Amino acid sequence: MTRNDPIKHVFIWPALLIVLVISIFPLIYSLTTSFMSLRLVPPIPPRFVGFGNYIELLQNPRFWHVARTTSIIAFIAVALQYIIGFAIALALNARVPGEGIFRVGFLLPMLVAPVAVALIARQILNPTMGPLNELMALFGFPNLPFLTQTKWAIGAIISVEVWQWTPFVILMLLAGLQTLPDDVYEAAALENASPWQQFWGITFPMMLPISVAVVFIRLIESYKIIDTVFVMTGGGPGISTETLTLFAYQEGFKKFNLGYTSALSFLFLIVITIIGLVYLAILKPYLEKHK
Amino acid sequence: MSVRALKGNGRWWALAGCLLWLTFTFFPLYWVAITSFKTPLGVVGGPTYIPFVDFEPSLSAWSELLSGQRGQFYNTFIASTIVGLSASLLATVIGSMAAYALVRFTFEVKLLSAVIFVVIAFGGYLIGYNFLGLRQGPSLIYAFVAALSLAVASSRLRLPGPVLGNNDIVFWFVSQRMFPPIVAAFALFLMYTEMGKMGVKLVDTYVGLTFAYVAFSLPIVIWLMRDFFEALPIEVEEAAMVDNVPSWRIFFGIVVPMSKPGLIATFMITLAFVWNEFLFALFLTSSKWQTLPILVAGQNSQRGDEWWAISAAALVAIIPMVIMAGILSRLMRSGLLLGAIK
Repeated sequence: MTRNDPIKHVFIWPALLIVLVISIFPLIYSLTTSFMSLRLVPPIPPRFVGFGNYIELLQNPRFWHVARTTSIIAFIAVALQYIIGFAIALALNARVPGEGIFRVGFLLPMLVAPVAVALIARQILNPTMGPLNELMALFGFPNLPFLTQTKWAIGAIISVEVWQWTPFVILMLLAGLQTLPDDVYEAAALENASPWQQFWGITFPMMLPISVAVVFIRLIESYKIIDTVFVMTGGGPGISTETLTLFAYQEGFKKFNLGYTSALSFLFLIVITIIGLVYLAILKPYLEKHK
Repeated sequence: MSVRALKGNGRWWALAGCLLWLTFTFFPLYWVAITSFKTPLGVVGGPTYIPFVDFEPSLSAWSELLSGQRGQFYNTFIASTIVGLSASLLATVIGSMAAYALVRFTFEVKLLSAVIFVVIAFGGYLIGYNFLGLRQGPSLIYAFVAALSLAVASSRLRLPGPVLGNNDIVFWFVSQRMFPPIVAAFALFLMYTEMGKMGVKLVDTYVGLTFAYVAFSLPIVIWLMRDFFEALPIEVEEAAMVDNVPSWRIFFGIVVPMSKPGLIATFMITLAFVWNEFLFALFLTSSKWQTLPILVAGQNSQRGDEWWAISAAALVAIIPMVIMAGILSRLMRSGLLLGAIK
């Protein structure tokens, strides 16, 4: 498949160099500081503490709480994005009437700055002046605490994530659907396979590789969520909607506790790596079966 | 196409679902648009929905914004545009070249060389910083150069141990995006500050911000473009190779035109990422090259819940992306691009 040609170095080195330069410094810097006790405010001289920061973190119930909240938001949001996104991509691919308008319209949320989305969400979810409050009041539930009660707030954050990132799933899955060959479907139609059978027998298996990639990207990105939460709830009420990145932000840039923050981000990295590896390990047999 | 088109009732159910989703998608955007034309009293008085019927639109929020009462909107807008366009263009070009190389050429990196790179980069930095009395910046540069040259030199030797192939390199690239951006942003800020002490100003400059954005867009570009390149038929390239067309001409003359839809989609995604990015801009810029998300986010904390003004500010960040989406989707659909595939 692949060939050998000296020009390959010209192709790959620009990307390689840039990523090396910009990734190795954060790595070196944060890994070394994660083993030290280092504060900027008040400035104390760095002191080597070994795994002290890590142990302290693992014993901190707040860390576990924050990790749980982030996982709940990420998993529910990505599951909804995938299901809705796949359904819409299928509809668009099947030439639903008005497909051209939908195709442009559906992509819009992805392009809106998360900061702006969160500000809009705050307006809509406002418990007294917002339109959603008026809608709920029609059903007899006025002044619901959308952003100030844990369950509602998490639901609101998940809805905003779904609103914003389902378009990404639609875009990628639609691109994938369009590369599927027609002849398989022609054969299936000759065999009188129902649309349901066609989906589970042809479309879904053939879309599995790109699905795995899309869900993986979204999962990793969702774990890094900060700007939406930051603007919408600020982690509140209390710490009930605080996510991992927001926790790191609070520790690092409010308390300037750099050693602790670096250790936190490495734990974060480990959590994400484990989730990624488990995810790929679970799906690998299916991927290979359909190759 | 016709085989997969829906028939009968299914078609209408799909349409109903799409319309429902369209409402959900558009309502927030509609809401922010009309709110920007409301007066302060009109916002506080409770929700109103239709201009001229429900409320009398007013341009006060917009005139306040455009007259510069709420910060340097023009400069910020221009800075955002320049950084966004150039960073995503560079990332798409460099990233798709790398992605193509990783799909079509054979790469073999010995694991030991990679280990040498990491060990020397870390060790050199620690030695330079702790024992040679160098500052963070110089020790990092020396360690990087030493690590890179030794790693490249060592790959020429016959080293034992496993060999990393193309997939491992792709995985390495993609894994860069797993790194929590908050620490990367802060570490980058410190690195840029160190560079500033050495006479190379990178904080709040075009080069510094663009460079960071290119680096952090590359993993996603490489992953996306690799999928597109892998889906291309290799026969065309093989035919060109038989005619002794050099590889760079195969890439720019055949592969790039064939994968234009993919390239444009990737460019679009990258541009959206860069345009909307918050964390890096927060740390790496202060005034001159500040981008729009920072300015928009500042509106709420500076002025409180002044939804009419916040809506206008948010729209300044939103509208260019909406226009771009319109233009690009037109391009994607027109024969101009699709015709190139044939």
